[in-house]
Amino acid sequence: MLNPILSFSATRRMRSLKTMLILLAYVAVMLLIAARILFPLLRGQASIGALSSSTTCYAVLIAVQFVLLVLIAPAMTSGAIAGERERQTLELLLVTNTRSFRLVLGKAMESFAMLAMLVVAGFPVMCLTLLTGGVTLGGLLAGELFLLASAFAAVSAGILASSLCRSTVVSGVLSYLLILGIGAVTALPMLFDFPESVTDVIYNRGRLAALTSAESLRMISPVLLCNPGYALAALLQGQLHLFDDYMQYQGVGRLLCEFRLMDKAGGVTIALISSGLIVLIGLVLLALAAAAVRTMSRKPARSGGK
Amino acid sequence: MLNLDGLTRYYGSFPALEDLTLTVEDGCLHGFVGPNGAGKTTTMRILATLLKPTRGSAQVDGVDVVQNGHEARKHIGYMPDFFGVYDNLTCEEYLDFYARCYRLAARDRKRMAAQLLELVQLEDKRETYVDSLSRGMKQRLCLARSLIHDPSLLILDEPASGMDPRARADMKGILRTLREMGKTVLISSHILPELSEMCDSLTILDHGHLVFSGTVEALADKMNGNAPLDIRLREGCGEAAVENAVSCLKEIPFVTEILQPEPFLLRVRLEGGEEESGRLLQEMIRRETPVCDFHRAPMNLEKVFMEVTGDA
Repeated sequence: MLNPILSFSATRRMRSLKTMLILLAYVAVMLLIAARILFPLLRGQASIGALSSSTTCYAVLIAVQFVLLVLIAPAMTSGAIAGERERQTLELLLVTNTRSFRLVLGKAMESFAMLAMLVVAGFPVMCLTLLTGGVTLGGLLAGELFLLASAFAAVSAGILASSLCRSTVVSGVLSYLLILGIGAVTALPMLFDFPESVTDVIYNRGRLAALTSAESLRMISPVLLCNPGYALAALLQGQLHLFDDYMQYQGVGRLLCEFRLMDKAGGVTIALISSGLIVLIGLVLLALAAAAVRTMSRKPARSGGK
Repeated sequence: MLNLDGLTRYYGSFPALEDLTLTVEDGCLHGFVGPNGAGKTTTMRILATLLKPTRGSAQVDGVDVVQNGHEARKHIGYMPDFFGVYDNLTCEEYLDFYARCYRLAARDRKRMAAQLLELVQLEDKRETYVDSLSRGMKQRLCLARSLIHDPSLLILDEPASGMDPRARADMKGILRTLREMGKTVLISSHILPELSEMCDSLTILDHGHLVFSGTVEALADKMNGNAPLDIRLREGCGEAAVENAVSCLKEIPFVTEILQPEPFLLRVRLEGGEEESGRLLQEMIRRETPVCDFHRAPMNLEKVFMEVTGDA
């Protein structure tokens, strides 16, 4: 049987005008960005410059979608559990035979489905970049997969915040803080330099060339692999070699090393591994949310229990 | 059958419920009465698996509510003292959603929803959005929701609060039907007369303690033992005769209070039971007071409630 929380919440969401407006606004933003590719093509001006701007446009589309999804997810999930508390319907759910994890999973899947619908709605616009080349369909799908993984983690963070708070507003604020916190913690390795033995390998072109993909992948910090920003950078570097100019400079330290490792290990591979790790983080957040739902409900409200 | 054994719940150091031991037989409509803060809602929330007791146990149909909450929920229908309804949903969809949460099969969901909407007299509101229903209708829909999985025990926390007399009468009718269907119903209220009209038995709680548990008749009998004596003197017997009667009563050692609500009516409280009241009557006759009527003043349930909870 389909998770009742999922089907029920989805029914209610799809009956709301707000949902349609969000979808419309999302696709409109995508089309505005894509207009940069479309107009020269429609005018028959398919120059090398136009092709180059097309790949940049792809990078912008991916980055903008990533930011939009991360911004929309907390707004969408802040009321998932906290809203049930405010409406006094959470207790009615907790006395049914639906376990807490099924409850939070249903809520998370419903919000994720909405975000996935946005990603899917934006996919035809993304496909416009295929017209001019520079991006393959496989690369495009890898990008979509990364966006979906990021959306899932953002939704999970929002659900955890929502299960910890009694008010939707507080839950929304906590969601953003949680997402920022996860981003900051997983980016911490960037503050430290690689050990000298590793930098020696990276700066020595000969030794770097001798490394296999797997060996260079092992040099990347697993914590950093959990960072969606890092995964996005790897994806864009892997597909478009977006940071090649930057890599010409010497003495940039950790960042340059990371770009060289991304190149060696394969940016798309890194993005796919990161996507898997990000989904895992999302699942852990959901498990925490399930534990928090019942624990929070057992606490008397601040006004005092009877 | 519902069994509570030494059920205790503390909020921090505050005892919301202390050592509640109680048995409610199958098919019984049992009232839970007490002033605000007596521990009624705490007890009901523990039974609904929403709260863990500090100590003690509770069993519904032999299933431990604390140890085996998931299994116990199949036997329990809970209706809190608030509606908890969603917008953008029709009455039928609302019931179908909760039926899904109880994992009912599709065929059973449709059948149960139709039967329950008929039971709560909302069959013509199947397609109506829940948020457009009146308060009484929402209350009845919530009752239907708590019955969707056919539980043996129904826990209703102040189901008639905020209802008009007509809606209250409808709710009472539905509860009687449920009793006829063999459901055990635990219903709370802070209005004793309201419950005494429909309940088979009552539990009175005060400050988290059990004050009384038994039938309504047993409660009345218990309280009538403490009721004051009404002594009516012959009309027009004169002030001197009334004063003589009062001074006679003042000399009786076990008389604790003498009131004169009417010119020829004396209301007397005394320590002791039937033997003392007999002795009092003998003494009044010996002193030739013009007694023409002598009986215990009837206690209404409101007074009983105030007496039992110590606020008289």
